[in-house]
Amino acid sequence: MANIYKPELVKVIATRQQTPDVKSVKVCFQDSGRANDFAFRVGQFGIFSAFGYGESTFNICSSSNWKDYLEFCFRKVGRVTEALWRLEEGDVIGFRGPYGNGYPVEDWKGKNLIFLGGGIAMPPIRCAIWYALENRRDFGDITIVYGARTVADLVYVDELDQWAQHPNVRVVRCVDPGGQTPDWKGEIGFVPHVFDRAGGSSANSIVLVIGPPIMIKNTLPILDRMGIPHRAVYTSLENRMKCGCGKCGRCNVGAFYICKEGPVLTMEDLERLPSDY
Amino acid sequence: MSFTITQDGLSKLVNEWLARGKRVAGPSRVKRDCILYVPLQGPDQLLLEDFIRPANSLKEFLFPKHERLFGYRINGNGVELFELEPPKTEQLLIAARPCDAAALPILDQVFNWDCADEFYNRRRQLTTVVTLACSAHDDACFCTSVGLSPCAERGSDVMLVKLDRGKYEVRCHTEKGRSLMEGRLEPSDQVASEPLGPEKRFDPAEVREFVKHNFASAFWQSEGLTCLGCGACAYTCPTCHCFDIIDEGNANEGARVRNWDSCQFSMFTQHASGHNPRENQPARQRQRISHKFDIYPEKFGEILCTGCGNCTRNCPVGIGALSVLTEIGHGEHL
Repeated sequence: MANIYKPELVKVIATRQQTPDVKSVKVCFQDSGRANDFAFRVGQFGIFSAFGYGESTFNICSSSNWKDYLEFCFRKVGRVTEALWRLEEGDVIGFRGPYGNGYPVEDWKGKNLIFLGGGIAMPPIRCAIWYALENRRDFGDITIVYGARTVADLVYVDELDQWAQHPNVRVVRCVDPGGQTPDWKGEIGFVPHVFDRAGGSSANSIVLVIGPPIMIKNTLPILDRMGIPHRAVYTSLENRMKCGCGKCGRCNVGAFYICKEGPVLTMEDLERLPSDY
Repeated sequence: MSFTITQDGLSKLVNEWLARGKRVAGPSRVKRDCILYVPLQGPDQLLLEDFIRPANSLKEFLFPKHERLFGYRINGNGVELFELEPPKTEQLLIAARPCDAAALPILDQVFNWDCADEFYNRRRQLTTVVTLACSAHDDACFCTSVGLSPCAERGSDVMLVKLDRGKYEVRCHTEKGRSLMEGRLEPSDQVASEPLGPEKRFDPAEVREFVKHNFASAFWQSEGLTCLGCGACAYTCPTCHCFDIIDEGNANEGARVRNWDSCQFSMFTQHASGHNPRENQPARQRQRISHKFDIYPEKFGEILCTGCGNCTRNCPVGIGALSVLTEIGHGEHL
């Protein structure tokens, strides 16, 4: 009997503590045949499970070009993530996916890319950044603005440096006022304001903005002023999910099922939906 | 000209099914004031007349309240997953209300769009539904407002319509129904009269129009403030199908299970960050009505409601969908 709720087994090959309460985990399929077949689009998500504790939904934050492993990143906040926090190399967990639509990267060809992320929203942007860097000729200038509450809350910090070394890639990092340390060399301020101050070209741009609702809300007027249409502004909605396949009934925003038609949508699409998110 | 069966004939049918190790479920008085669809031990437990409808619905016989999806076993670093016994018992749902049977083709859609839920589908294939047309209705019934009736055929393999006490006209709707009744029927000159349903209480098209354009209306505030968030409406609804998936077991072995859930619960949509898109009862009530009368029709072309009235009868504070829907229909929100 085909069982859509039964996960595949994946083995933990590395874990990394990113902040005091955020970890990233790399996993590979136990079945090597499956590892070769498996394909996904950046922006899609998976449902990861610690047996005995349950399942949680996370973006697959590795690039779809990487065949050796899948990566996900989470904050320790509940029963399942407490269990995932304790994972060590060699442990086996469950994976279902990929689910959702992913980023329409084909439509982004020839465009400048602007990535705006806040806090734990970096992982779902990171996969798109790596994808863009690996297909560098397809895209124009890349601007990355990433901020967190404090210096200690920034994730994938070493990769920010790697990205900045690529030609025509600008990386601006920031922390909320009061979140800086004495040796902090980045900007101080909230992501929308820092992005505004950073300036730069807006023509022919695609924006991917993911973060807390307040950050997205304050970013939109700035994008409007820059003349970037809302159909060129993408986000990823991260509603609570259980089944991942449009049955369990909780991730919908109006008739839009985030697990199936999302999680990625444009601001223009989002504005047509009821504000039930 | 019609075909009929007597109560004795039905008892015989129940006995035969039970004797072959199959399951039979139907309305039964489980306590003095409580009638439920339950698995029957014998035909004497089956209640056919003198009540409006059971307080639960048929959905639990296809989509159980608690269902194990697979098992896990952990040895050292290794994990073994195994399938649990798939549903394989044939079941007869007898004397089902037409509003409960009509929910089954509606549920078929959500359990089968894109990817098929084989737990549900297996049980569905193993199920034969014998409906009993309603000869009475109460103030909470509203099947006629959602396009159904006391003798609606939808989801029914065979329908019984009362002729006299203890005697029923039999109308076979499907092949499953015909083979079930083969050799059990008596020809008769009597033809049952069409039972009368409740008067229409509202127009679903108006409700849909309202929920489409009144997301931020104060109407939801006034409705939702009364709601206790107990979920009785959803649990007794024939069409509500939301579920939760959790693990039950310990660090060595256990199972992943799904349990019924409800959009009326505060944790239903709560994010890990603490943000909750539907953070109060008004928002949750709005979701329930919107899902049934706008979202489901948009996705699947039909209303997620059969007018059984269970949400109204079982609501501890007397709201339920019907009061909300009639208020919308009467323009009381304006």
